[in-house]
Amino acid sequence: MTRRFRKAALIVAATMVLSLRLAASFPIYGQQTALPEGSDLNEQALDVPREIFRSESAGGRKSYLVNLGDLAFNSPSLLGGGARQAGMSCGTCHVNGASNPKFYIPHLSTRPGNVDTTSSLFNPHADNGVLDPARIPSLRGAHLLGPYGIDGRTASLRDFVRTVIVEGFAGPEPSAALLDALVAYIQDIDFLRNLSLGPAGRLTARSSDAERRGEVLFVKPFPHDPTMSCATCHVPSAAFVDHRPHDVGSGGLFKTPTLLNADFNAPYFHDGRFDSYDQVVGHFDRVFDLGLSPDDQRDLVAYLTAVGDGERPYERDGVGAALKEIGDLASVLDTAIPAHDTGVIALAVDTIDRELRELTEQFPDHKDPSVTGGQEERRRARAALKDLVLRLSRIGFAASAGQFDAAIVEYRNFRNLSLAAVPNLLRAAQRWSLFNPAVRDAHYGALLQMRQTANK
Amino acid sequence: MRLTALCIVLAAVAVPAVHGEAFDQAVDNETVEQYRLAMIEDVAQSLSGARDLRDRLSKQDFAGARKAWIDARVGWERSEVFTSGFVPELDEAIDAWPDAVGGFHGIEAKLFGANPAGVDDEADALIAQLADLDARVRTMKLTPQGLLDGVVRLAYEIGDSKVDGGESRLSGTSLNDMRNNADGIDLAYRILFASRLEIVDRTAAERVQSGIGQLKALLTVADLKSVDADNLRKTSEALVVALQAAAPELGLGTPTLEEAAR
Repeated sequence: MTRRFRKAALIVAATMVLSLRLAASFPIYGQQTALPEGSDLNEQALDVPREIFRSESAGGRKSYLVNLGDLAFNSPSLLGGGARQAGMSCGTCHVNGASNPKFYIPHLSTRPGNVDTTSSLFNPHADNGVLDPARIPSLRGAHLLGPYGIDGRTASLRDFVRTVIVEGFAGPEPSAALLDALVAYIQDIDFLRNLSLGPAGRLTARSSDAERRGEVLFVKPFPHDPTMSCATCHVPSAAFVDHRPHDVGSGGLFKTPTLLNADFNAPYFHDGRFDSYDQVVGHFDRVFDLGLSPDDQRDLVAYLTAVGDGERPYERDGVGAALKEIGDLASVLDTAIPAHDTGVIALAVDTIDRELRELTEQFPDHKDPSVTGGQEERRRARAALKDLVLRLSRIGFAASAGQFDAAIVEYRNFRNLSLAAVPNLLRAAQRWSLFNPAVRDAHYGALLQMRQTANK
Repeated sequence: MRLTALCIVLAAVAVPAVHGEAFDQAVDNETVEQYRLAMIEDVAQSLSGARDLRDRLSKQDFAGARKAWIDARVGWERSEVFTSGFVPELDEAIDAWPDAVGGFHGIEAKLFGANPAGVDDEADALIAQLADLDARVRTMKLTPQGLLDGVVRLAYEIGDSKVDGGESRLSGTSLNDMRNNADGIDLAYRILFASRLEIVDRTAAERVQSGIGQLKALLTVADLKSVDADNLRKTSEALVVALQAAAPELGLGTPTLEEAAR
């Protein structure tokens, strides 16, 4: 995940001062930012979507290609235009391969969780002149969910990814190797395990009566079209999709979305118009004249909630998670440096450099009066991270000069430090860092106060 | 007056007194004292701006006060080469961020906000702090190592992301801050280290000077949004790496990236 905009802060509503908790968001403000004032990339969240990989679930390790894809996925250099300028990457919208329900850009979003990807901000050539935001989908289980795009217009994930990069976000033409890596990464993102579901997508014995009644309704033929049921499109044995677009009365043909892990994928429908399953079920009841009673609707919602569940959907961001991610990304250098692959080395250096600099910002410096205590620990943590940044830079400089032996030596130092000394220093400072909710509240509270003072 | 003084300082260090001979110490006291003159001048400029700010506030001239605030930032941002290392407590008081109560940014929050009145006390406090700095800068013990550390720290900091609008986002002057930081780096390097490095390792000297030049060029843009942030970050890191590599040749230790880490 990228950690951009950590320092960015604006709370538009004064009432939010009372709710500066984990759910708080901090839209950017000021006239000097790449994105419009009020944009919220939701990158201050402490609880982030948990990402699991099929390769690791099977007891193995992520491949070089998957790690390279992860790297590219989180690199702004893959994109162009306003997105790159704002430091956005694929991972900004698809946080840890999931969605981003708080993502909001004024004039491009009609609500949090959707965004218009055919706009001049991202690519003037792709601007269709219409505000047509699409919901940001989760990519969990993407290998089972083709064709791709909200209307299912592209059969190949590889082609779809390329189109998003080049046409949607004005990025440079990605190399074939990079596209392969991105596809490998996306296809390795797994659904969260759901203990409510057994083989063929059927409920397990742990399910409630309401969920079971909902399951019956889900497969029950529609009153006015006995050839149809909810399960006709959301096929339980096929990840709850049928790989086809349909018109469900929402203004066009849109691909059937999966219901797996969908509890964490709100808002719903192609444009994110609905916040809840209640609204979704109500819509289908009206459009298809299903004649559902209030109890039926509650049972269907209970069923959808059971189907959409997932094990530990979020994890707390912190030193451990951040360093693990950086370690995974840096592992591509194990292969790229001996292979003299300067393109991948440059990508890794650039992307990890950003991550490290943003991680540094989690440890406020001595000028931040909102954070008290642990000043020496914070200084050491910041110094250690800056040292890693510079070691990484030296790897890049050495490789670009063709000095691969020197790059390997520097990389070994980088790895050794990032595996032992640096984690210890960061853990020692973590309680005074923005990973601590109380410190975070104080820091962002100070930012809020600054903004409010300006508005008085 | 100010430029004249600076030219004299630069002229004095442009031709080293002992070409090719070993220096008794990394950077001699005379050179450090020459840099002190520049430090004094920058702090005085900032203090003068703060006093002008106070006068404008007294006259309810808020447009003038805003301009004075921006002017006062020039000397301050150039001084950041040495403030965090040599006077960290004043650095924290004068430039606290985020803080809506005191220092430059406490004043900024009100002065550039919807109701600019009511920052007289904060301006008085800022004047007192800068006056304290003005007094201390004349006598504080300076070390070449501490000053090189400061140059390197600031060079690194310029590469930090300003995608959120940077430090002075309410006044919209974060780009000015960065330019003045770069000027401060340039000034300190030229006075303190350039001559010696040119003697002992011309290639390294050219690398550093080129890095500083590139940094300044990248900041010569219309606004913060136009800054090539990727290139700026890379240039900043290349400059830091070059300075770190040059440190032993200057007879100094590898510069630290945080003031208390040494």
